Amino acid sequence: MSSVIETRDVSKHYGEGDTLVKALDRVSLGIAPGEFTAIVGPSGSGKSTLLQLMGGLDNPTHGQVHLANKDITQMSGRELSDFRRDHIGFIFQAYNLIPVLTAAENCEYIMLLQGVPEAERRERVYAMLERVGLAGREGRFPHQLSGGQQQRVAVARAMVSRPDIILADEPTANLDSQTGSDLLDMMHDLNRNEGMTFVFSTHDPMIMERASRLIRLKDGCIDSESEREA
Amino acid sequence: MMMLKLAFRNILRNRRRTLLTVLSMAGGYLLVSVQLSVTEGSYDQVLDFYTRDTTGHVQVTVDGFVETPTLYKAFRLTGDLQRAIDTVPGVQASAPRIESSALGYGDTRSFPVSVRGVDPEREAALSYLADKVSAGRYLTSEPDGQGYAGVMIGAQVARQLSLDVGEELILVSQGADGSLANDLYRVQGILGQPGDAEERWVVMPLAAAQAFFVLPGEVHRLVILGADYRSAPRLAERIGEVLPGQELSASPWQTVAREFHETMTADKEGGMITLYVIVFLVCIGVLNTVLMSVLERTGEFGVLKAIGTSPARLFWLIVLETLLLAVIACLLGGLVALPINLWFTLQGIALAEPMDISGIVFSHYRGQMSAYVFGFPMLVILIAAALIALMPGIRAARIVPVDAMRTL
Repeated sequence: MSSVIETRDVSKHYGEGDTLVKALDRVSLGIAPGEFTAIVGPSGSGKSTLLQLMGGLDNPTHGQVHLANKDITQMSGRELSDFRRDHIGFIFQAYNLIPVLTAAENCEYIMLLQGVPEAERRERVYAMLERVGLAGREGRFPHQLSGGQQQRVAVARAMVSRPDIILADEPTANLDSQTGSDLLDMMHDLNRNEGMTFVFSTHDPMIMERASRLIRLKDGCIDSESEREA
Repeated sequence: MMMLKLAFRNILRNRRRTLLTVLSMAGGYLLVSVQLSVTEGSYDQVLDFYTRDTTGHVQVTVDGFVETPTLYKAFRLTGDLQRAIDTVPGVQASAPRIESSALGYGDTRSFPVSVRGVDPEREAALSYLADKVSAGRYLTSEPDGQGYAGVMIGAQVARQLSLDVGEELILVSQGADGSLANDLYRVQGILGQPGDAEERWVVMPLAAAQAFFVLPGEVHRLVILGADYRSAPRLAERIGEVLPGQELSASPWQTVAREFHETMTADKEGGMITLYVIVFLVCIGVLNTVLMSVLERTGEFGVLKAIGTSPARLFWLIVLETLLLAVIACLLGGLVALPINLWFTLQGIALAEPMDISGIVFSHYRGQMSAYVFGFPMLVILIAAALIALMPGIRAARIVPVDAMRTL
């Protein structure tokens, strides 16, 4: 099966000489459509760095990242912005919603950048917020929502623009276990019912339990991979 | 619309800081607007007075007379030409003048004088000449019972020649035909005080001047008053279109009094430096605020970029936020400036010592209410705001998402 995203010999090094740190070292992997993948490993193993490189938020020191059959490491800042807008959804550990926009506006923002007509934007936003259990809270600002609700808005924001893949960097790290579990169930449902591709960087066992594929990183290299029926 | 909403809500995030920034910009706007109002009002008063008193708004002369006035560069002012000019749209009044010099004699002394021949009625309708009579009475076209043409003399002429109203003045000069010109006149009035611009003048009826200088039916200048000194160049163009032949030209006061105009313009431009200094000082403070606001939101810009906001859109967001601040500041400044400028325009500041210029008294510094007085400061503040936003905007646009988000 062809990959939604593929890394080829990707390395990320910081510093030089004696202070050289290899955050990632020649990592090659592919993510197939519909996967619910967890990249796991101890702190400093390179999980977040790999996710950032896959999302075009940073450039690798070496190697290529292919998304939608394009090498995103060769793109300019402007091209990368457009590419992220159209192909990638991000969910961050700290939610990272725009504080001055309401839940609905946070979701609507990316579609506005994509040029989706206003009526369609509204319709999709309200449907998605209902889907993540936030119906009736569309007009609330992030500070008026709980952490779990904010992360639900972040999920809705990532999904509503219909990206090829959603990259989630430790999405449950700031949530209590019940809220985190509910949120993961919701994302798992979206994965199974709508075929949305998710890649997580995490050390949360709840994510590992639900993941269809586990990629273990150690010292910047893939240590092991396993697949299972989620 | 979403970007405008985002920009507006962003500037409301730190309300105290926004308020202080807006007040600082509004203060700058207010200072610039009020200073412009007072300066423009003063220049307006001076220029309106000067052009009415001296040059008129437009002058019709023989080509070259404006640059080098001589006795010989006169033209025949026919009734048809006068009527054609008087009916040009915008012409409110016109008056012919003859100008040359002569030697004046009193009983025992002589004194060089500047002779002006004017049409008393037309001149009174156009300039302040009639208001400058400090003794005696204003000029009449007709000679007195003894056949003497009446003249008005400047205060210095009166003092040097020991002449008073009712006494005789002898003038000697050269006629345009090369003959010796000399005649006897009756002093009918004294103009102004010693030190005034008219102190060496001898003003006589046009017909008397034409006879004295041997310029039958001819004049040196036809001085024309329009509605406004500012529109003089356009009025001159329109008048130029009705002038016959090639030898006559219509010149606006800016050409007639080139040095005066250039001095006023330079003085005005000098005054603008103060305004730019005010704007510069305001800008420094605003730049600091905008930079601080961008630095505080570095992480947020990283997120915006991560989810697909282009560098250009981020740049424009910062520019939009700064421009919004500037627009609010200008509106606020305008609201405060409006009554102040209105007061300056209607009431003005009373001068400690009223200025008496040739009998015309300036007692107040007046302001000006015009689109320029309110619009120019707004334009300057908006341009300054856009410039201020450049550096923070570029900084935001160049943010690397992954680095920026580490600050969250």
